[in-house]
Parts: sequence; structure tokens; C-alpha cells
Amino acid sequence: MDPKKKRPSMPWESAIPSVFAGVAPQAAEPPMDSDAFAGFYERSARSLWAYLARVSGDPALADDLMQESYLRYLCSSRPGLHLAEGEVAGRRYLFRIASNLLRDHWRRPRSASIEEVPEEFMAASASSVQADSQAMLNPAMALMRPRERQLLWLAHAEGYSHKEIAEITGLANTSIRLLLFRARRKIACLLREQNPKGGER
Amino acid sequence: MTLSPCSHEKEVTALLTRGGWPEACAPELRAHVSSCRACGDLVLVTETFQRARADAANAASVISPGALWWRAQLRRRNAAVQRVSKPLLGAQIFALFTCLLIAIAYIVSLVRSGFSWTNWLGELSQPRSLHLDIFWPSLLFYSGWSLVALISMIATLVLLGGVALYLASEKR
Repeated sequence: MDPKKKRPSMPWESAIPSVFAGVAPQAAEPPMDSDAFAGFYERSARSLWAYLARVSGDPALADDLMQESYLRYLCSSRPGLHLAEGEVAGRRYLFRIASNLLRDHWRRPRSASIEEVPEEFMAASASSVQADSQAMLNPAMALMRPRERQLLWLAHAEGYSHKEIAEITGLANTSIRLLLFRARRKIACLLREQNPKGGER
Repeated sequence: MTLSPCSHEKEVTALLTRGGWPEACAPELRAHVSSCRACGDLVLVTETFQRARADAANAASVISPGALWWRAQLRRRNAAVQRVSKPLLGAQIFALFTCLLIAIAYIVSLVRSGFSWTNWLGELSQPRSLHLDIFWPSLLFYSGWSLVALISMIATLVLLGGVALYLASEKR
């Protein structure tokens, strides 16, 4: 027998070894390790929770959506890529996931559209809020539309640019400026009405 | 409402973002802010939101990153198992269809060749039919290529049975 023609024997099970060995197939290596994730999480979790809690007006929902956001972030094929671009890009991607989750939550049958979310939803949780800033902001936020709350928070609490807000919310870059201007004017009026002394300039 | 942007807006935003407002602000700019409605709104809203952000961030209930990492790994693994299971299910459906097609073709060929169960059973009742060696020629006579089809059908069934058994044990 010609040794050149002899092919190494390979058991057929080796084609799909993990399945036939009774072991679940290994997931592809995550694009970031647990230490890198822990660091990223420590630096971004609180601001993400604040965004979700203040825009949704529901701290319990914010807890759930925050966990889901990080899970989706880790399960996506891009976390490492985003972190390689810089932590700002990773954070922006995370906020985008969270914004999509919020939008999905608002679009559930309970409310037909993002614009039809009852404004009282925010006021309901205001009683549990202790901090002065929250007591000042919550009534005004309750009178804003969800989209306006989202834009205001991203622009003024997180300090994102119009381009970044467009990327996070999925809105057109050109419309952000106008929407934000209107929302800012509206909430400024509400804040001045609630607190005439503090609002005076 | 008309959009009336102020030329100092960027400057004020930069000061607010860097935390330089109002200490690091020039007196002229401060005077402008007190008289400009757009800049006044910007300062009021940004300061309020920044304070709210700091308060909300302190109140945040943050779970351990390790737990999230573990759950994400579990979810990734489940997704990978589902990805592997999909081709198996496809193969099962394909095998089932093949099996059905062969069975139908076999029955049609038997009907066309005038096969009659009563004739076949009658032949079996004859004394010569008791010899097992005559079964193969008689089967071949009646069904022609169908013996090959029958064997492939049985093989497919055995294969399917094996896969079904494996999947059942895997689910358990």
C-alpha cells in the first residue's frame, strides 16, 4: 500500500464533536474579557441607569432595561470593536441599545405610539423621589413627551452632540437641533414656572 | 415657535460641559446670558439636568458585573446551541420527505406492476413457498428495483430513529 495514499483516519463524530460528545457547543470567544467589561460597567452603569430611570420615570423598569442593555451589548458581535474605537463609542452603542429597548417598551400594546405615553406616568413615581433636583425636575419632566425627555437628557445630562444623539435615537441629524430647541424652551418655561426665583436670570 | 440660535450658544455649552460655569465665564458673556433667552434656557436646563444626573447616579442600584457577564455567556451559549440545532432539524425534515417520496414511489410501482397481495399470499401458501430461498426471487420478480428502495427506506428510518433518540436524550 502506498503510504502517500494513506489518509489519516478521522472519526466522523469529530466533524461536530461537541454535539456528539453530549456537550453544548462552545460559544465564540467573547470579543472582550470579563475584566475589561467590569471596568466598562463600573464607569457606565450609573449614568445608563440615570438615563433610563429619568426618561422612563420608573426605577424598576430602569433596573430591568439596564440589565437587558448590558446583556445585549455583550451578546452583540461588536462590544470589543466599540471599545477598540474608544470607550465613548462603546458607551454610545450602549445608550443606543437602551434607547431601542425604551422605544420597544413604549410601543407595546399598552401604548400605541411613543408619543402617546401618558405624561402622568412620570408623575406617579415622583412621590418616591427624595433629592431636591429630582423634586424640581420631575414635575417638569412629567409634562414632556418621552421623545423630548430622551433628547433633553442625552444633550444636557450626558452632553452628547447632535450627531451622537441622532445615532443613539435613530432620528435624522438635521431634525435634532429643532426638536431639542423646542424641548429646551418648553422645559425651561416649566422650570421657571415651578421655581420662579431659581429660574430668574 | 421660530428657531433663533444664539452665536454664544457653543461657548456657553463648552463652559457648562467643562464645569467652568459661572466661575470661568467672562463678565461679558455672563451679561449676555442674563439678557439672552436662548442662552438663559441653555444654562438653566443644563444645570438642572446635570444635578439630576448626579443625584440619579448616586441612587442607582447596580448589580455585580460578574452576574451580568455570566448571564451573557449563558445566552451566547444557548444561541450557539440553537444555531447548531437548526441544520439538524433541516436534515430531519429532508430525511422525512425523502422517506415519504420513496414510500409513495414504491407503492405506485407496485400498483403499476399489477401486484396483488392476495396473489402473493396465495403463492406463500403453496408448499414450495415454504422454502426461504425463493422469497428473494419472488420479491424481485414482483417489485423489480423496489427492493433497493425498500432497503434505503429502512436505512433512512434507522438513521432517523437514531437522530430522534439522540435528540430525546439530549433534551433530557
